[in-house]
Amino acid sequence: MKVMIVEDEMLLAMELESEVEMAGHEVTGLAMSRSQAQEQIGSSKPDFAFVDIHLMDGPTGVDVGRELAAAGIPYVFVSGNIKKIPQDFAGALGAIEKPYTMNGMKNALAYVSAVIAGDASGSPPVSLVLAEDVTPAKPQS
Amino acid sequence: MPEKDQFQTDARNAGNRLVAGHVSEDPFAAAFKATRMPMIVTDPNQSDNPIIFCNNAFLRLSGYSDDEVIGRNCRFLQGPETDQETISKVREAIAAGQDVAVDILNYRKDGSQFWNAVFISPVRDEAGAIIYFFASQLDFTNVKSREADLAAARHEAEAEVAKHTANLRSALEARTLLVHEVDHRVKNNLLTMASIVKMQARVTKDDGRRQTLMSVLNRIEALSTVQRKLFTLDDVSKFDISEFARELVTDLVDATGRKDIRLTLDLSPLLVPAVKATPLSLIVNELVGDAVRRGLSDGGGDIHVVVRRLNGHFLIRIEDTSEPVEPDIENAELGQMLLEASARQLGAEIERKQEGRKTIVDVVLLVDDHQENTH
Repeated sequence: MKVMIVEDEMLLAMELESEVEMAGHEVTGLAMSRSQAQEQIGSSKPDFAFVDIHLMDGPTGVDVGRELAAAGIPYVFVSGNIKKIPQDFAGALGAIEKPYTMNGMKNALAYVSAVIAGDASGSPPVSLVLAEDVTPAKPQS
Repeated sequence: MPEKDQFQTDARNAGNRLVAGHVSEDPFAAAFKATRMPMIVTDPNQSDNPIIFCNNAFLRLSGYSDDEVIGRNCRFLQGPETDQETISKVREAIAAGQDVAVDILNYRKDGSQFWNAVFISPVRDEAGAIIYFFASQLDFTNVKSREADLAAARHEAEAEVAKHTANLRSALEARTLLVHEVDHRVKNNLLTMASIVKMQARVTKDDGRRQTLMSVLNRIEALSTVQRKLFTLDDVSKFDISEFARELVTDLVDATGRKDIRLTLDLSPLLVPAVKATPLSLIVNELVGDAVRRGLSDGGGDIHVVVRRLNGHFLIRIEDTSEPVEPDIENAELGQMLLEASARQLGAEIERKQEGRKTIVDVVLLVDDHQENTH
């Protein structure tokens, strides 16, 4: 799948890029701010995105997330403070808490790419906090 | 002023008539004169309702002499700060021939103020006509000033409390901001350190070096997991070693992608002081890592992790059934050093047992309640 990385710490972004590529995916771009992310959402049409909450222009990762959700692109937050994520998770699948481990990221990426490919049979790894486990459950019909 | 003299004479005559109505040994008149309560009598049937009689207590209170009082209307006791509404109230009651009780600010002859609790009451003859007004006074300046002092003190205290609260609130906000900033920095730096090691591992062409770097990365990442789990409980001074073990072990085993490594967990929440989080986590990391490495080397195996209380102490047990294999010597040596240092720091006992293919490692952390509760 085509993955966009929204992260203002370039070293972390590049290292994550290597991980994603090693797992057999393509990285469409690294964005360090909301405007860079907006540009790339339009131009490169990623299948999935990792989004840090705190970017170069402030805590704009949530806005980036909402734009991704509006464009129908699944994504997860990658943040050191998952308590800062809004209650509705801004349309994200879930969140990976920093500092993630190599294994944690690998497991989360494998799970997410399987889900996006239509295989939701696996169980989510501990490193991935799913939005549906955090947001209030919808009443069952 | 002859006219004024005439008034005073009339007033005094009226007073004399009043007294003459009572024989000298009349106990009521004697009481009126001798009481410590200031009292006056006025005659509403004379022009401007003058005072026709006053007792010594009244003279003491007002500072005037008998001559200065008799024949005058009571309003000479008023001054610039006397409340106009109170004065009106008194005037209206007298005009209506009714009782009235007011607290009024009055002035002595020397100009000093006093708070006067005045009670005025009409005195009627047998036909019901008002012949006198009787007024008693009570100087309650002390009470009034005590009230004012209390109110002022209360306002001052309230202002002081509000100021301190505002200070504390802003200090707390600053502290919270700082803690978040530091936490964020620590997390980012841990991830940056890990990234640098991973980059170097990616760049190196040498397998041995790569192994060494990955062995370093493993320990850095154990600390990353600790950092993620710190400050997540309501009591930020505590760290749940069970939660840490669950995440570390699952992460590690999941990432092997090996279905033949079977993991079972028996974890109960075990809160340790946050200061013990790092050495305890390093111990768990070494033991679990060791078990997984052995499981990886042969045909898989079972790994069972227990975290619970045992006789008041903390027990962490890692059991695995796998063929013991020759480990990477350097990694094993580093692991041993970390285990020893951490155990020594915690005062923990590590016991290793071998039962056939089964390896059982028990870590017992002796906790006394004092230690457990203070940090």
